[in-house]
Amino acid sequence: MIMDVADKSLNDLKSVLGKDAGEVKPALDDIPTLEIEPMAVVKALRFLRDHKEGDFDLLTDLTAVDWLDYPESGERFEIVYLLCSTGKNHRARLKTRIPDLDPRIESATSVYRTANWLEREVYDMFGIKFDGHPDLRRILMWEGFEGYPLRKDFPTRGYGPVERTPET
Amino acid sequence: MGIETALGPGIITTTLDKVINWGRRWSLYPMPYGVACCAIEMMGALASRYDMARYGAEAVRFSPRQCDLLIVAGTINLKMAPVLKRIYDQMSEPKWVISMGACASAGGPFDSYAVLQGIDRIIPVDVYIPGCPPKPEAMLQAVIKIQEKIDKETILDRK
Repeated sequence: MIMDVADKSLNDLKSVLGKDAGEVKPALDDIPTLEIEPMAVVKALRFLRDHKEGDFDLLTDLTAVDWLDYPESGERFEIVYLLCSTGKNHRARLKTRIPDLDPRIESATSVYRTANWLEREVYDMFGIKFDGHPDLRRILMWEGFEGYPLRKDFPTRGYGPVERTPET
Repeated sequence: MGIETALGPGIITTTLDKVINWGRRWSLYPMPYGVACCAIEMMGALASRYDMARYGAEAVRFSPRQCDLLIVAGTINLKMAPVLKRIYDQMSEPKWVISMGACASAGGPFDSYAVLQGIDRIIPVDVYIPGCPPKPEAMLQAVIKIQEKIDKETILDRK
């Protein structure tokens, strides 16, 4: 396998993080992926953004996965950071796991400003709190909505009768 | 107090009804509330091929205060519901409502926490159009149904 720039950036990151990082593996879509510990996320993002060869200047997506039914795979919530270099046209992915009880993680807004709305969406849909976020409010559902819809234990029709309408 | 309360039901009132209903029937001003794919079919019905102008309902106004026919075309989610209610309230009497398509009529395929299960939970509806989305012909028939309904109305009914 030819080691490309994105792979090399992640391997550099891995050597910086030490035991906080797992192995660099290509995912099914061939994007090199690195699993790291949650407290190292902001440091890792800053490292990749400022990495000279990697040059990951764009946070394409920040989302979460609820592994409720797969406890053997690790902690319940997985947060995924998808990075892209607009100048050099390559991508990399960071993954981290955080536990079920009071899920929180440090906000990435200090590194990528686009993380603002992405983290609000994750907060809205999964109830994961981002420490240091400037404006952590619901973004899709209205204020006062109960529950976090994309959690696997959320009933499809929501809590209570569906026909209720939000207050005007 | 208007002329209708002064005269009560009688030949003058019924003749007035005919004239007024004729005017209302052929000059419906639709308020398009297009929020999903139904809106595309609604545009198709309004455009030259199906030409809703043949029924006098071509002058689409994007201000509720100038309209008397609300066409709700698309999925109304719960966050949007207060907006729809407000727009309906802003329209001046007399007003009619067409609920276009499965989503607006009954939530459609979206039986979920986020979607209003039919706009008749918040506003009165005169004509429902089935379909997902309905063809423009169905839209035209709904307008015809509204016209038939207007024909049967009398100024004594409306306050």
